[in-house]
Amino acid sequence: MNRHHATGIVMAFAWMVLGFLALPAFAVVPISFTDTRYLAMPDEHWSLQHWRAFLSNREWHDSIWQSLWIACVSTLGAVVAGTLCAIGCWRASSRWSERVRTAMILPMAVPTIVYALGIYRLYVDLDLVGSAIGIVFAHTVTGLPYVVLTVSASLANIDPRLEQAARGLGASVGQTLRWVIVPNVVPGILSGAIFAFIHSWDELIVVIFIGGRAFFTLPRRMWDGINDNLDPVIAVVATGMILFTLLVLSAELALRARRPRS
Amino acid sequence: MLSPVPEPLVRFANVRKSYDGTVDAVSALNLEVARSEFLTLLGPSGSGKTTTLTMLAGFERPTEGRIFVDGEDVTDVPVEKRGIGMVFQNYALFPNMTVAENIAFPLRVRGVSRGEMNSKVMRALSMVRLDGFGDRRPQQLSGGQQQRVAVARALVFEPRLILLDEPLGALDRQLREQMQYELKHLHQRLDVTMVYVTHDQVEAMTMSDRVAVFSTGALRQVDEPRRLYEAPASLFVARFLGESNALPATVRQHDGGSCAAALATGETVTAVMPVRCAPGSAVHLVVRPEKILLGKAAQASPNRFAARIAEVTFLGDQTRLRLVAFGADDFIVKLANTAGQETFAPGTEIDIGWQAEDCRALAE
Repeated sequence: MNRHHATGIVMAFAWMVLGFLALPAFAVVPISFTDTRYLAMPDEHWSLQHWRAFLSNREWHDSIWQSLWIACVSTLGAVVAGTLCAIGCWRASSRWSERVRTAMILPMAVPTIVYALGIYRLYVDLDLVGSAIGIVFAHTVTGLPYVVLTVSASLANIDPRLEQAARGLGASVGQTLRWVIVPNVVPGILSGAIFAFIHSWDELIVVIFIGGRAFFTLPRRMWDGINDNLDPVIAVVATGMILFTLLVLSAELALRARRPRS
Repeated sequence: MLSPVPEPLVRFANVRKSYDGTVDAVSALNLEVARSEFLTLLGPSGSGKTTTLTMLAGFERPTEGRIFVDGEDVTDVPVEKRGIGMVFQNYALFPNMTVAENIAFPLRVRGVSRGEMNSKVMRALSMVRLDGFGDRRPQQLSGGQQQRVAVARALVFEPRLILLDEPLGALDRQLREQMQYELKHLHQRLDVTMVYVTHDQVEAMTMSDRVAVFSTGALRQVDEPRRLYEAPASLFVARFLGESNALPATVRQHDGGSCAAALATGETVTAVMPVRCAPGSAVHLVVRPEKILLGKAAQASPNRFAARIAEVTFLGDQTRLRLVAFGADDFIVKLANTAGQETFAPGTEIDIGWQAEDCRALAE
């Protein structure tokens, strides 16, 4: 077989895999324009009726708003805690700091449903089920690994002598952190923030367990909608979510492209 | 009337450092650095020179002993409070700042006003001949320029002491030589005290007022470059600074500062003995390759031996001969390329010799 041929086959396979990965997510886009009254592809013509229904539905708006602020606040928490943790581990760089870093990644490694069950048990005792602080805290903790990972990756590229140089030139630990370390890991912090945000934005399982009656984030309202009735508005919301996520991800990509290479 | 002995700027008093509790990285160190001096800590890697500098900077704490700067015990003073300028081998410039911001950094952490900061940064930039480079990023500069920025950053806040940790190690040879002179001239112009770490003996000799030679955690000798070269106190120093012919011998008798020693091949040699060794003890007789007399000149010298030329290498400024002598074939002679210098051919039998004061008997 000639080489050109082989490359063609590999390329075709690669595109198939890529399509298999990405395309199912986009199936909701035509469904959102369906003219039927249930979740299905457009039957005779495309219609905007479900988009109109979505735009005039307060429940969905409340959910968007709820998802948005929970994601923002828990991202903030995850960024601050995760960045400090990563920098601390980097500075200490001992056997123990390696263990701490591994422990920080646990929320990502443990199956979410197991994790959610554990949090639920704890929150029942603490009376935090259905509370804002409870959800924000859970999302902060589960968003933490993303920040720790990306900031640690950024730190790995920093010359440890930069800190020595700063201290040697008279900077206190705080000044060194503020003027030298943090500015050099900003790309890592932003990437981590974006991932932590997306994580909270589409997190479902934990919210199902601890959301109680007060918290219907966007994913949870979709889930309930699918269970109760097959309202095509769900496809509209899903399309919106995909668009929003793509937007955030491309911001992350653009950020990475701009990162100066030394 | 006796003038009071000036307090040295830096004093290591019985300093010992061990990282793991078993091996000493530095042991029993007593060393003084005079005001306005350029002192180089010279030694192979693992000799303790960098550890010594790191302790002076404050990044490491001595296991034992005290360090004084300007008469003040700084052993427990944190790095940022010592007011010492530091230049690193890999420059350690902050990539998130411009050149000017890098240089301004030590002023910024000290809360210097904006106007004063600008004028000092400008002055520092022109001192290292980088006027107009203030707005560049460090990554846009060449290695030599980056190192100049690092130097400017270390001296902009007018510290009493500047430490340089192998600052020229990453540069190519030509640039390194040029930077050596630039650093030397800066030192002379600014009247600042500099402590410099290197493993390059030429660098040490070029720039230093005094050189401190380290090996295996111990300070072997501190002296002016010329005296270190001409009067090494140990075989290590003789071998580390420049080239040496070292002939194993046994002390027969000694008399004040000189001795008679027998070579393994039987000949007896008269040599200078800086550190007294008892008769019967093993020493090395050390002669610099450029001090060897050949042919007629050798016949008039008190130490005269037969040899055969094994190899002749012309190096431009000098010619290097490898001789078979004293039962080995690695005796080196260097001849300067001067007018009327004889030429030699391999295989020639020749007399070699040296003056007694050019040969030193040194213990291992």
